[in-house]
Amino acid sequence: MRAPKKLSPIIKIAKYTLADEVQHKSFTVIFIMCALFVLFTRGCYRGNVLVNGHWLDAEAVAWKVSKMTFHIIATGTMFVTALLSMRVLKQDRDEGMLSCILSKPIDRWQYVMGKILGLWVLSVLFMLILHCIIFLIVLMNTGAIIPEYLIASFLCSFNLLFVILTVLLLSLLMPDIAAFLCLMGIGIISFLAEGIYAIAHSQLMQGMTQQSYSYPDAGPARWTIAYYFWPKLSGTQQWASSLIGNEAFHGFGPVHPLVNILFYCLILGSFLFWKFRNTDF
Amino acid sequence: MIELRAVTKQYAFLKAVDNVSLSVKQGEYCALLGPNGAGKTTIVKMLLNLTWPTSGTLMVNGLSSSNASCRNAVGYLAENHCIPPHLSGWRYLLRCAKLLGLHRHDAIDQCRKVVELIGMQGREHTKVHTYSRGMIQRFGLGSTLLGNPKLLILDEPTSGLDPIGIREIRQILESLKHRGMTILLNSHLLSEVEKICDTAAIINCGKLLLKDSISAIVRKGETLEDVFVRLVKG
Repeated sequence: MRAPKKLSPIIKIAKYTLADEVQHKSFTVIFIMCALFVLFTRGCYRGNVLVNGHWLDAEAVAWKVSKMTFHIIATGTMFVTALLSMRVLKQDRDEGMLSCILSKPIDRWQYVMGKILGLWVLSVLFMLILHCIIFLIVLMNTGAIIPEYLIASFLCSFNLLFVILTVLLLSLLMPDIAAFLCLMGIGIISFLAEGIYAIAHSQLMQGMTQQSYSYPDAGPARWTIAYYFWPKLSGTQQWASSLIGNEAFHGFGPVHPLVNILFYCLILGSFLFWKFRNTDF
Repeated sequence: MIELRAVTKQYAFLKAVDNVSLSVKQGEYCALLGPNGAGKTTIVKMLLNLTWPTSGTLMVNGLSSSNASCRNAVGYLAENHCIPPHLSGWRYLLRCAKLLGLHRHDAIDQCRKVVELIGMQGREHTKVHTYSRGMIQRFGLGSTLLGNPKLLILDEPTSGLDPIGIREIRQILESLKHRGMTILLNSHLLSEVEKICDTAAIINCGKLLLKDSISAIVRKGETLEDVFVRLVKG
């Protein structure tokens, strides 16, 4: 079956983007290192663990380790995706592919769409393969099948889309490395803010503050409002991981983290298309 | 084939192209001449919608240059043409053919013909980073010939080439004349232009100074270079 006329160049550009990125030695090295790291964790699934004189259930340990590695892989992939995305447009410009593609009967939106799609597919595959390794290790060592693990991985792919759109847009406005650092800043603040929010809303902290002071209800503080509107990279990841083992998810703020991320993707995507359409090459 | 009507391109403090009107008919080999910074590349980029005019209209194949369909039958060779170093010349050509919407069999067939035309048989499967500048330029020119274009826009196709390379490129361009192709050639090599092109448009400081057939521009005892220097230096 042939792809529709408008879709065909997008798929081709996506395919070439994927192929070009995989060709890079640095990509292969990063991927092998990540896969080795994940494979090393298989030792954690073997044998029982003694804590405070009590033997822990091997399955319980496996769940904990799986969740931890889930977070490490999801966060690590965001980092790798940012690295891949930051040089994509510049590389195409330097290697002459940008003018080569745009001088053909291909619209600019098709080019951008192809680039986004290629990077997204690549980074999702990167993360999914690593998560699949964990999935198989758990299956082989404990016999447990965790389908939620792969669903959670899929949900984290929206974080990767956010990363791609942000870095591509910023790389049109500033040097590549600055775009990468900005994204890192957004990510670090997101993770720190979620941590602080979780601590502030923990039972222990609530009890401590109630004992010490009793403030009149003056509405949400400014930082709380800023926190609600900040891109919820960590929130989406937490929510996705809560699906593993069907744990309760205590929502962070009035907006669901996934809705927050999708909203940002929409806004950033629109800006990216607009900016690229109005850029001289 | 190409029509520019009162085209102006204004950058922040610079008028790169100033009210240029120009037309190139089908089958015409037209040279776009001018000193560095005259606005030649800006005109070429506007024709390909890589940049936009501040005012005026540009038509390619009877369609506005902003319409992607007008580039259906256009081949473009950029100044200092590059090819991703990890690709082979063949892969690059195949990629270009597929981006033009050619089906696999047609793409392979056309790539074979092009490799033969540019005289790169036997070297097409080696990686681009092993190629010389002239070989890259030949593959670049080859990529513009895919999809049987009616119009070629060549921005400095001989830049960085040795005399033999220049001659080979010229021979390829001359061989295309029989196919009824239109060429807009942006070059500094006036002696080559004189041999290949039918008409020339001379631009300086964004303004079109003259557009006529080369035989009409060059008087007896003069070369195109003499005319160029006379016009540009005022």
